[in-house]
Amino acid sequence: MTEPTHSLSIDIGGTFTDFTLLNIESGELNVHKVLTDPENPTTALMRGVAELLETVGIAASALQVVVHSTTLATNAIIERKGAKIALLTTEGFRDVLEMRREQIYDMHDLHARYPDPIVPRSLRAEISERTDRDGNVFQAPNAEQSATIVEGLLNQGVEAVAISLLHSYKNPENEQALKEQISNRHPDLPLSLSSEVAPVINEYERTSTTVADTYIKPSVSRYIQSVEQELAQEGYEGRLLVMHSAGGVMDANAAMERPIRMLESGPAAGALAAGFYSELLGEPDLISLDMGGTTAKTCVIEGGKPAQSNSIEVARVHRFKIGSGLPILIPVLDLIEIGSGGGSIASLDNLGLLRVGPLSAGASPGPACYGLGGTQPTVTDANLMLGYLNPEYFLGGRMTLDIDAATSAMSSLGSDMGMDPIEAAWGIYNVVTESMAAAARIHIIGRNKDPRNYAIVAFGGAGPAHACEVARILGATRVVIPLGAGVTSALGCLAAPLSFESVRSLPGLLETTDWESVNGLYAEMESWGRDMLANSGVPEDQMRLTRTADMRLVGQIHEINVPIPDDTLAQTSAEGIESDFHQIYQQLYSRRNLSIPIEVQNWRLLVSGPQPILNLQEQIVEPNADARVALNGSRPAYFANANGFVECPVYHRYKLPAGAEISGPAIIEEEESTTIIRPGDSASVDRWLNLLIRVNP
Amino acid sequence: MTNTTQFDPVSLEIMWSRMLNVAEEMWSTILRTAVSTIIASANDFGCEVLDAEGRSLAHAYRSMPVFNMTMPNVAKEILKKYPIESMHPGDVYMTNDPWMCAGHLPDIAIVSPVFHQGRFVGFVGNIANTSDIGGSLDTKRVTDSYEEGIFFPLCKLYDKGEPVELAFDMFRWNVRGPDMVLTDIEAQVAANQVGARRIQDFLDEYQLEDLSALSEAIRGRSETAMRRAITELPDGVYTNEVFTDGMGDPLRIAVRIEISGDEISVDFDGSAPQIDRGGLNCTFIYSRGHTYYPLACLLTPDVPVNEGCFEPISVRAPEGTIINATFPISVGSRTNTGWYIHGCIFGALAKALPDRIQSGNGLMSSIRTYGTEADGRIFNAHLFVGGGRGATSQGDGMGQNMFPSSASNVPVEVFELNSPTLIVAKELITDSAGAGRHRGAPAQRVIVGKLPSHPDPLNIYFHPNRLSFAPLGIFDGHPGTKTEVIHNGDVLSDDPSSMTNGYVTLENSDDRLILEFPSGAGVGDPTGRPSELVDRDVKNGLVSEESAKSKYGHDD
Repeated sequence: MTEPTHSLSIDIGGTFTDFTLLNIESGELNVHKVLTDPENPTTALMRGVAELLETVGIAASALQVVVHSTTLATNAIIERKGAKIALLTTEGFRDVLEMRREQIYDMHDLHARYPDPIVPRSLRAEISERTDRDGNVFQAPNAEQSATIVEGLLNQGVEAVAISLLHSYKNPENEQALKEQISNRHPDLPLSLSSEVAPVINEYERTSTTVADTYIKPSVSRYIQSVEQELAQEGYEGRLLVMHSAGGVMDANAAMERPIRMLESGPAAGALAAGFYSELLGEPDLISLDMGGTTAKTCVIEGGKPAQSNSIEVARVHRFKIGSGLPILIPVLDLIEIGSGGGSIASLDNLGLLRVGPLSAGASPGPACYGLGGTQPTVTDANLMLGYLNPEYFLGGRMTLDIDAATSAMSSLGSDMGMDPIEAAWGIYNVVTESMAAAARIHIIGRNKDPRNYAIVAFGGAGPAHACEVARILGATRVVIPLGAGVTSALGCLAAPLSFESVRSLPGLLETTDWESVNGLYAEMESWGRDMLANSGVPEDQMRLTRTADMRLVGQIHEINVPIPDDTLAQTSAEGIESDFHQIYQQLYSRRNLSIPIEVQNWRLLVSGPQPILNLQEQIVEPNADARVALNGSRPAYFANANGFVECPVYHRYKLPAGAEISGPAIIEEEESTTIIRPGDSASVDRWLNLLIRVNP
Repeated sequence: MTNTTQFDPVSLEIMWSRMLNVAEEMWSTILRTAVSTIIASANDFGCEVLDAEGRSLAHAYRSMPVFNMTMPNVAKEILKKYPIESMHPGDVYMTNDPWMCAGHLPDIAIVSPVFHQGRFVGFVGNIANTSDIGGSLDTKRVTDSYEEGIFFPLCKLYDKGEPVELAFDMFRWNVRGPDMVLTDIEAQVAANQVGARRIQDFLDEYQLEDLSALSEAIRGRSETAMRRAITELPDGVYTNEVFTDGMGDPLRIAVRIEISGDEISVDFDGSAPQIDRGGLNCTFIYSRGHTYYPLACLLTPDVPVNEGCFEPISVRAPEGTIINATFPISVGSRTNTGWYIHGCIFGALAKALPDRIQSGNGLMSSIRTYGTEADGRIFNAHLFVGGGRGATSQGDGMGQNMFPSSASNVPVEVFELNSPTLIVAKELITDSAGAGRHRGAPAQRVIVGKLPSHPDPLNIYFHPNRLSFAPLGIFDGHPGTKTEVIHNGDVLSDDPSSMTNGYVTLENSDDRLILEFPSGAGVGDPTGRPSELVDRDVKNGLVSEESAKSKYGHDD
């Protein structure tokens, strides 16, 4: 057997499946993109792998590692394509899942709907059992009752069962007992226990998470097994690693066991890529701007690390309305959706004002300029009319754009506003960039940081065309467009370490913490985490452990994550933890608190393997590098600060040498994206061929 | 500055969004730094941007709606009391005057003037429900406002950036848990600092001298949208009345709505006289907020609320009624009256807006326990519970929630952790939903017991809504259900006057308090409900087979 030479990453998105192949030795990067096949994702995936391997001229056996991220888990929930499942819950509480948190999410829409619960009431069964707040079991589940109930559910065609009992975060005994009773009779029935999926206080959110996990388990398992098999048939001998929501990877078995952790793994990979560039470029504070066909997302990178959150809301029925989706309590990278994508449709609202999105033309009919029958103006149409896109070189020339169709769509919108089509297009561009900047700003301000101090790394198909204007609005002056900006998320997969995070709730005041119990929880979490890493082949001496706790002032809802010492904890540990809390609190809120006591909600442990080393190929920076070697003609493009169209040089991204300098206005084209540099801004190409843009405020 | 090209559909969209985002940043500041459950968890606050004449331009979108409607009044009163020449950067004004602000003393308004290039250009402000304002805890027995807590007339909290010590000392010595109250107030002040800075940045970026032209454009567009929506309604007079439980004797809310061209006038003449006990009275400013809000929901749900929306609407209520109560009457529990105004207005306008209406709501209730745990710790816990939402002319009532409040419930696990209580069930009640072509949302039953390990008797305090009057259906939709209270088998709710105590005692661990909260009412004749929807409800156990037959005429 020859020594493996490459690592491969595969990111399945809604429209495209992206591939990056990295030569471990030389750092050479090859990328590829194929259309996603939602019905048979594995087929398109394997075709893409075969094509890329053939282009580079290596066999699958030369792959050291294959890392995968996918929207499959998220989409199964959004499109309700999961399994038929049942929920077993405490007697008297089967409606928790349906009643949610009893909160209105839109104060003015009397007709606003909630999403249907994943498990209908007829498949939510109650078990006579009860545990109290301190974990004392009042009543244990009775084997006969559970057998009858499960029998009845199976007769209705149930394929998997979620179990979520009151106070199981405190004592999982009754959930475990039920699991044993059921598994004895039905060893192959997939089960998810809330005390294992999300052992934290709050019955609704814990149940919601457990149910979602159960719901996608059968289809995710089938999918991962088929990818593993196909890769093995192709000759790949290593493990399949799967990206998880918190920006690490897990092996295929862990993903099948806990599929909910795959939620948003694609965007997480993008955020991780931003973290990678943050380190590479020495820009510790950075925000990512990942703008694709339907959405734009951002993540704040601080000190090289993407910001984390303890929960995420998926499948919102109103896209930008918090509270209209399903809460999932898993550790995630704190990505927020900040706006529209290239396909988003522009229209006038009831007030006669220009709105962009949330409706999207999608891939079919797509923007008017695709010539596939779309008649409503989109962001892509606007960008084409402003000269930002090359009608002959869309997707590297695999598609041509119809500027007449775009103009005609734009004319009718423009006349409704009393504007000519170009003014209307510029309006769309402005509204889009403004809304992205505003949403990103609120996110940054929420972390008590000043957006002006951040650099922006922009990627995704549409990110590089909007990044400089977003930067201007935020007052940021530095923009990075990585090489291969169209497939940056896939690259992020290769930067992810193996990692597993576990959490236990033990709510209470810091000063009265039962430290012996906390030590017990950490021992439990540590042994689980070490087992998981060992199963994935990480040697004992390369395991890293990081402890933190979610803490807040009594009464607050918002928790902050505070580091916890690694040694055995005791009452004497409280003082140091308290002072760390105050320091972080001060950083986050610029204010000291008065004499409000501190409470701890959850104790967390992150175990991780070694950070993969990702060496991108470096170029020699020639002192007299000249951008003109990449010049590929010119075309007029519209800029407000130039009062209209100006003739812009067009550069070919892959021909730009390291060290080249470019002054705006300029257009830089690569296959999957186009970078727009405004008049007054300037850019240079670094030794990894990234574009570094200086934005004039 | 008022040329029209400055505010074309693109630039106005962008600048208006900026104003909305200023309010959002203020909201985020309070959410993250407030410490009381009622502000941080239940989100009982609102943030607003106002122009130099105290007119509202934008609010944070999750703000408690009634605060958005009452905040401008505070700003206008500031302008009357403190001439612009006397204002300085760093000044912060405050009041909790129920007749000026939001209808009861715990709602504290904190308002800051904004200066740009040395000129006063507008206000940023917020109102939040503080965790304690002093006064009696036995809110049903208070006989006047003096018993309900400390009253701050409009005053300065900061003077040129310096704290006004008297104001802070008054808090320190008059409220329970002053650290928590003052930390929340600090959060409110910090939010205004954030908002003021953002407005200055905005004016700099767009090289505007002040907010007046933008204000005119925002209010003008909104007013036009509201007038257009009103014009689409048939002219005429629409009347309705609803009743609340009162303090044993029902209280009437009567409304007469006149639609004429592009204007609406709302008159509450005929509503019950104010009542001298129990804090059930609404101040006019509060009632007007609860009149504007349902009208905005009906007529301009997609317009971010600002003062322009309400130009075409006039509201009148005779002095001395529960809708326009006079100082110093008690007002602490005014939601028990004010929340009924929505149903009264929706019912009145059903004929004018048959496709947009909502039937009667179950409304929010709360349960409270306080006492001493076996280990000596004090406990004081709330369980908020949502009523069933009324159906609308577009669909079934959505869930159990707190409308017209934006609060959320309290998880049972959290409530139990904070109180020696055992919640035995929290479940939907079969056949409770008000039947209709669109049915209301079902009611929930909460069964409360005492934790067996708790040695003492446990008092459960509650002030239910809708003991005597169920939410009303519309267009032949059936009413929802009333509140039922059953204590160890005694149906207390059969005689509401037996419940003026406001609590029951659980002596033993097998004592039970069963609370069946109200459901939502239906819209339309139930026999017109599609049979597959009736089947689904039967399958899910929300409607029994008998009711499917008797109420829905369903014959499978």
